[in-house]
Amino acid sequence: MSLMKDLTNGIYKENPVFKLALGMCPFLAVTTSVENALGMGAAATFVLIASNFLVSLFRNLIPSKVRIPCYIVIIATFVTLVDMVMHAYLPALHKSLGIFIPLIVVNCIILGRAEGFANRHPVLNSVADGIGMGIGFTMAMVVLATFRELLGNGTWLNMDVLGSAFQNQPLLIAILAPGAFILLSFIMGFFKILETRKGGCQ
Amino acid sequence: MEHKRFELAMSPHVGTHQSTRKIMFDVVIALLPALAAATWFFGPGALLIVALSVGAAVLAEYLCLKFMKRPVSFAFDGSAIVTGILLAYNVPPGVPWWLPILGSAFAIAVGKQAFGGLGHNIVNPALLGRAFLMASFPILMTAGWTAPEEWRNGQNNPWETNGIVQEELLEMPNADAISGATPLNVLKQSFDLDKSADLANKEGNHAEALDLEARASGIRHALSQKSTYLNLLVGRRGGCIGETSVLLLLAGALFLIIRGVLEIRLPISYLGTVAIFAWVFGGSGWFNGDPIFHVLAGGVILGGFFMVSDMVTTPVTPKGRIIFGIGAGLLTMIIRRWGGYPEGCSYSILLMNLVTPLIDRFIRPKVFGEVKEND
Repeated sequence: MSLMKDLTNGIYKENPVFKLALGMCPFLAVTTSVENALGMGAAATFVLIASNFLVSLFRNLIPSKVRIPCYIVIIATFVTLVDMVMHAYLPALHKSLGIFIPLIVVNCIILGRAEGFANRHPVLNSVADGIGMGIGFTMAMVVLATFRELLGNGTWLNMDVLGSAFQNQPLLIAILAPGAFILLSFIMGFFKILETRKGGCQ
Repeated sequence: MEHKRFELAMSPHVGTHQSTRKIMFDVVIALLPALAAATWFFGPGALLIVALSVGAAVLAEYLCLKFMKRPVSFAFDGSAIVTGILLAYNVPPGVPWWLPILGSAFAIAVGKQAFGGLGHNIVNPALLGRAFLMASFPILMTAGWTAPEEWRNGQNNPWETNGIVQEELLEMPNADAISGATPLNVLKQSFDLDKSADLANKEGNHAEALDLEARASGIRHALSQKSTYLNLLVGRRGGCIGETSVLLLLAGALFLIIRGVLEIRLPISYLGTVAIFAWVFGGSGWFNGDPIFHVLAGGVILGGFFMVSDMVTTPVTPKGRIIFGIGAGLLTMIIRRWGGYPEGCSYSILLMNLVTPLIDRFIRPKVFGEVKEND
């Protein structure tokens, strides 16, 4: 039961992006297309699950004074793995994500879950949490990327949606950085409205 | 759960004969003469753009208020009309009809209502709308320079009388029969020629460099003629819809000053700074720029009297307002001289809007009864 709760926690209730406002840098930077969002989401999810697993496994071995460097070593190992695998098998995606792949090392969702969850929960729960948070992160990125790609390029997952008339004069700002901030604020505002309607927190 | 509440207006709670409605309609009246000039020079299309922009602004305001369950009467206080007019004044006359609608809707919905409506917006909504359009449709926003009607008929073309400028214009990649560059575009081109001359000099092509330099200074010379000044004053030149007719804009501003709506410190410090720095670095070297040209060309008259002086987004203290004007003027000239755009008026005002809270924080009037601290 509690395993299920840990799994679903990250998807909506504690969605890392919309509720905890973590991982904003890659979230804003790579969501220019749904393809990038899915790639980034998959990479981050893998690192999240694997690092949660290892951190949880060694949680009684790691001295608390040096725990952050230990987490970073664990996370960096997996990020390097992802980086190399992606470079070898998905060179186009690797190129478009660019610097943001190595930067997963300092993604605060991953470090945050290692520090906030995995180091005091059993291995299975930590893996479940990693899966949930990873899915939540990926979903959030796909939501923003959907708006940005549709408005800024007229396509969705590289499929033609809005037709060539729109694509000749797309809303370029949606692809640019200000569009990411504007759309993010509207999505977060939308979730805030949902919350207040439900009579939830505050 | 609808229940009656005591409605509290925004501060300052001072008894005055002015009201938002009165001020806004004064501003609308002050802006109308420039619209007449725009219709005269750019044709009825300009009028249509302004009408669409105003309609979209008021409709967007109404829908936002309705959606947020706030009193919809705010939509008719005239502030949306002012935003709509100002946005339309800031787009080229040759844009497609849907562009001002989109810009106005964005200006109102995101620039104003998302922050809580009139009095709560951080930046000038009309300028934010323009920045949005510039980022989204850079080609439409920089290529729709309709040449004034009279030029199209082949008569009275001011650039032709100046000869050399016309020649440069024809060499522009997108120049066609009906579009004309703005005076600031032409000036920017002369700086580009200077750069090419520098490059040629470095490569050892001294003859070519001399030729390029001669062309650049020829353009600048042509721009500083009395006939150019006259055209700029009247508004017979390419440019955004509402920024061209300096005389009619000044007439509107005078009306606002007489009505006590316009605070003169902001426009004076802004335009003064533009003029001084135009002289300091507006030309090719130092201290040989042309302040008259820089003040008359581009959008600084429109910006200075109708956008820098926006009550909501500028500092409240007199000293703060002067700092605001100087900052905006300096930024305008820096963008004009070294920036990527030919005109920096709108971005300079937006940037200064953002630091307005900081200015207000540091420039505080002495509170009555306050005692100087001894330390």
